[in-house]
This record gives sequence, structure tokens and C-alpha cells, in this order.
Amino acid sequence: MSASLSLSSTTLVGWLLAPYLAGFAVALLPVLTAPLLLLNCLSTAVLGIWALLGGRSLPLQLVGDYGVSLSLDPLAGWFLLLAGLVCLGVGLEAWRQGWDRIGWLLLLVLLGALNISFLSTDLISLYVSLEVVAISAFLLLLKEASPDGGWIALRYLLVSNTAMALYLIGAALVYAQSGSFRFEALAELPPGAPLAFVLVGLLTKSGVFLNGLWLPRTHAEAPAEVSALLSGVVVSAGALPLLRLEQLNEAIQALIAPVGLASAALGVLYALVVSDAKRLLAWSTLAQMGLVVLSPASGGLMALSHGLAKAGLFLSARHWPGRSLQGWRDRPLAWSLQLPLWLGALSIAGLPPLLGFIAKKQLLSGLAPGPAWLLVALSIGSVAIYARLCGAPLRWSPLPPLCWGALLLALPLLLGAPVAIAAADWWSGLLQGLATLLLGGLLHLGLERLGRADRLALPQLDRLPDLLGGLGMVGAGLVVAMATSAADAINAGGH
Amino acid sequence: MAVIRLLELLILMAALAGFAGLLLRRNLFLKVLAMDVLGSAVVALFVLLAARSGLRSPILPRGADPADLGRAALDLADPIPQAVILTAIVIGLSIQALLLVVITRLARIDPCLDVESFEPRQRP
Repeated sequence: MSASLSLSSTTLVGWLLAPYLAGFAVALLPVLTAPLLLLNCLSTAVLGIWALLGGRSLPLQLVGDYGVSLSLDPLAGWFLLLAGLVCLGVGLEAWRQGWDRIGWLLLLVLLGALNISFLSTDLISLYVSLEVVAISAFLLLLKEASPDGGWIALRYLLVSNTAMALYLIGAALVYAQSGSFRFEALAELPPGAPLAFVLVGLLTKSGVFLNGLWLPRTHAEAPAEVSALLSGVVVSAGALPLLRLEQLNEAIQALIAPVGLASAALGVLYALVVSDAKRLLAWSTLAQMGLVVLSPASGGLMALSHGLAKAGLFLSARHWPGRSLQGWRDRPLAWSLQLPLWLGALSIAGLPPLLGFIAKKQLLSGLAPGPAWLLVALSIGSVAIYARLCGAPLRWSPLPPLCWGALLLALPLLLGAPVAIAAADWWSGLLQGLATLLLGGLLHLGLERLGRADRLALPQLDRLPDLLGGLGMVGAGLVVAMATSAADAINAGGH
Repeated sequence: MAVIRLLELLILMAALAGFAGLLLRRNLFLKVLAMDVLGSAVVALFVLLAARSGLRSPILPRGADPADLGRAALDLADPIPQAVILTAIVIGLSIQALLLVVITRLARIDPCLDVESFEPRQRP
């Protein structure tokens, strides 16, 4: 699509409404499921590419000055592309699982709510769309629930709604001080309680650090397709507003960056010790979301590469012979499952020339030396995490279980290869990648020798009081950080 | 203005009480009720926010010209927070209903709804 092609606001609003209309049409006429789902996913992905190539932002203000404000810009383009592709991949797999019409309705409503949340630039439209995302994700979790699944879904909605109540308090305080609900109004306020409340809500939604403690168990216990949706796109609905706020005010980025790095460290640490394969993937999501929110310059690409890889991994998890990592090396996997596994794992670990490598390079180039070294150490940790999954032997069989959705999601990871190879520092990047791989492999072997499950017992962090306490602690931490930086500024001004 | 400050303080205390209840209660049903207390405090905060400019409902009298309200506009409440919170009330109600439906399902596992009986036993 050419970038000069203009897009009227009517078309944009029509595109935003289409998934909802399609959802209810599908519920009434199941014959239409495949074409309507395909149309909506593809139009979302194409619009994302258009926004990326266009490079301009298209602001849209509906219903007056205090109404809904939307903006289609390159940053949102990454997330739209991700949502379109992941919903398509999940749709393919769900089709083979034979989902009923309620499932399709929920999937389309989820896509519609995600689209609105990616575009909205005011606190209230974002609140409404995030709540619709949460409710549809909750119903999807509940739909195919095991007896235990009800508790997981309830916990998810309870924590998410508490976080959103705190977010609303923040929004009210923003309005009280500036008379507007727009992101710009929040970014211009001096840091304080309003910002802390809004950040607690958004960090919980994006599954970062202690606010994201709900994530590992929820993503691990859900059915494969729902896990792929949750880990692939639903968490990024909370990350994009954080990136937008960081874009508007550098001080907010300085506030979030330590939380993101701490999240990455926590996720890697737990993923190294867990004994369950899906739980490992979920803890790795918590780590990667921490990296996504580090910087608005690389956040979009980071979210795209991670979302595609993780959704593919979760989709292929349905065909794995078992979930326990004990004896993983004794259970052979067919090539059709090995391919998405290796591609996804290598991309998340940031090895050239996959998409994750480009994202990580972009992220590293914008960081100070201290955090950059921490990031390199975390990459070695990521290699050691995924070495646990890639250890399964290969099995040749004439009719392997083909997982089309996972293959579809894994292939775009290769599209970054020409860009990576054409870059000037390709050879040094390759050498660094190989060194990371080697060190990560050694770490993996060392941990295996140690007998990790018995020696490295970490505290269990995913009970309900931990989740809610995490929210309170991060909120208090943010307030303290803002107060100290304000006091520093006053002292510096005084001298 | 002092009254508004006092009410603001009371509302924030109600929100805090809701959060504390959510954290400390062991019964699942009481936890959801505590979440509702938190939600109601948020609603009250928005209503209070709207009342800063006046207490009368912001509805135009029949035949009045919006551009020329004169003194009547002085004591009208701010319609924006009221409109916003109406949406949030509806969302809060639906979430509450969904949570209660799941709780009735969970009551088959443990009729006492003690949170501990749903938590996992194994390590991370």
C-alpha cells in the first residue's frame, strides 16, 4: 500500500467498529465465520503496515473536545500488525479445534477492543477499551476452563479490575488538576499521585514486575489458543499507553525503566527454575514485557518480535507430549513442532538474524552503559531458559502434527533477516550472538549439573495476597521515587 | 471548600478500606464486596469532582440559549466527570455480576469460599 494513500476518518471509525459487527454477525450466522475473521485480521495487519510505512500520525477527535481522542501513528502500527497476525494465527488453530460461535464472538470483540486501546490517546477511552479487553479475555479463559480454570479466570478479573479502579482514581486526579483526560495533560503535570495511580494500573495490565505476578499462572493454565492470545497481544494493550506516556515526557521513562529492568531480572530468574514448560514461557513473558516498556524507540519492534514468537510457542504447546520439563530430553518432537520452537526461542533470546535480534540491538543502542550490560547478562539468561526447551531430540515421522498457526507466526520472525544481514555491523553482531549462545549454553549446563529444582527453591509468588500486595508495593515505590527526585530537583535548584 | 476537602479525605479512606479488605479478607465473597467498596469510592470521587463548580444538575432549562446562561451557569455541576463515571458504573456492575457467577461455580469446590482452598500447593 502506498504511504500517500489518504485515509478518511469515516473509514477509520468503520474499521474500528467492524470487529464488533462481525462478532455479532458470526454469532447469528456461523457460516460467515471464516471470511469475516480473515477480513478483520488482515485489515488490522494491513492498517498497521500502512501506519508504519506512512511514518505520520493521524489524529482523530470524536464527539467534541472532551470526547474520544484517537491517534494512528507508527508506534501503534507495530501493535496493530501484531494483533492482526496473532488473531489470525490463533484463529487458524481454533478452527481446527472446532471452537463454537461464542468463542468466535469473543475473539472478534477482543480484536476490536485491542484496536481501540492501541489507538486511544485519552485516559477514559483507554479505560473502557482495556476493560472490554479484560472481560473478553476473562470469558475466553472461562469458556474451556478445567475445574481449576474458574479460579484462574476469577483471579485475573479481580486483580485487573482492582488495578483499573486505582487507574480511575489517577484519572480523576488528573482531571481535577488539569481539566482534561488526555495523555498530554497527564504528561505535563508535575510527577505525583495521579501519575503513580495511572502507572500502577497500566503496569498491572502489561504484566510488568510485581504488578505482573498474576501473569505466569494465568498464562500457563489457560488453553493453548487463549494463552497465545494473552501472552501475544493482550499484555501489550497495557504496554502501548506506557510507551506513549514515555514519549511525551522523559521523566516518566526514567521512572519506568528501573521497574522494567527489575521485571526482566525477576522473569529470567523464575524461568530458570520452574519445572513446567508453559510456566517457563509465561515467566519469560513477564521478563520480555519489562524490556518492551524500557524505551519508546524500540518498544514497538520489541513487542512485535516477542508477541509473534511467544504466541507461536504457546500455540505449538498444545502438541507437546507433556508439560513437565523433567525428562524433556527423553521425549522426541517432530520437525513441525521443532521449527516454531527453535525460531521463537532464538528470536526471543535475541540471536541474529531474527527479528528479536534487531529489536534488541535497537534497544541496546539507546541505553546507558550500566543497563546495557545488565541487558547483555539477561540475554545470556534467556538463552539458558530456552536451552531447556530446545533440548528435545528430533523425531522423523511421515505425518507430523502440523501446527499451521504456529508456523504462520514463526515465519515473519525471519523477515528481519535481510535487514540484519545488510547492516554494517552484521559480523560483530553475529559474533556477539554466538558468544551469548555459548555463555547461555554453559549457564544451562551448569544449572543442570546443580540440580536446579532441589537447590534453587524460590518463594512462591503467585497467591492472591502476593498479587495485590505487589500492586500496593510498586505504587508506594513509584511515589517514593517521584518524591525523592522532586526533592533532588529542589536541592539542585537551591545550590 | 473545607467541606469538599473533608469529603475528599473520607472518599480516599473508603478506597483504602476497600483495598485493605481485598487484601486481608479470606472469604472470596467478602473480597469481591471489598472490591465493590473500592469501586464505589471511585464513583463518589468523580461525583465530588463534578460538584466543585456547583451542585445543580447540568441540564439546560427548556428554551434556554446555551451561549447565554448568565448566572444560572455558575452553580451547575461539571457534566464531564459525571458522563465518564456513568460508563465506569456500568462496567463495574457487569464485572461484579461476572465475578459472582464464577463464585457460584467455585462454591461447588468449597462452599465456605475460603481463598486458601483454591490456591495451588506446588512450588512456582
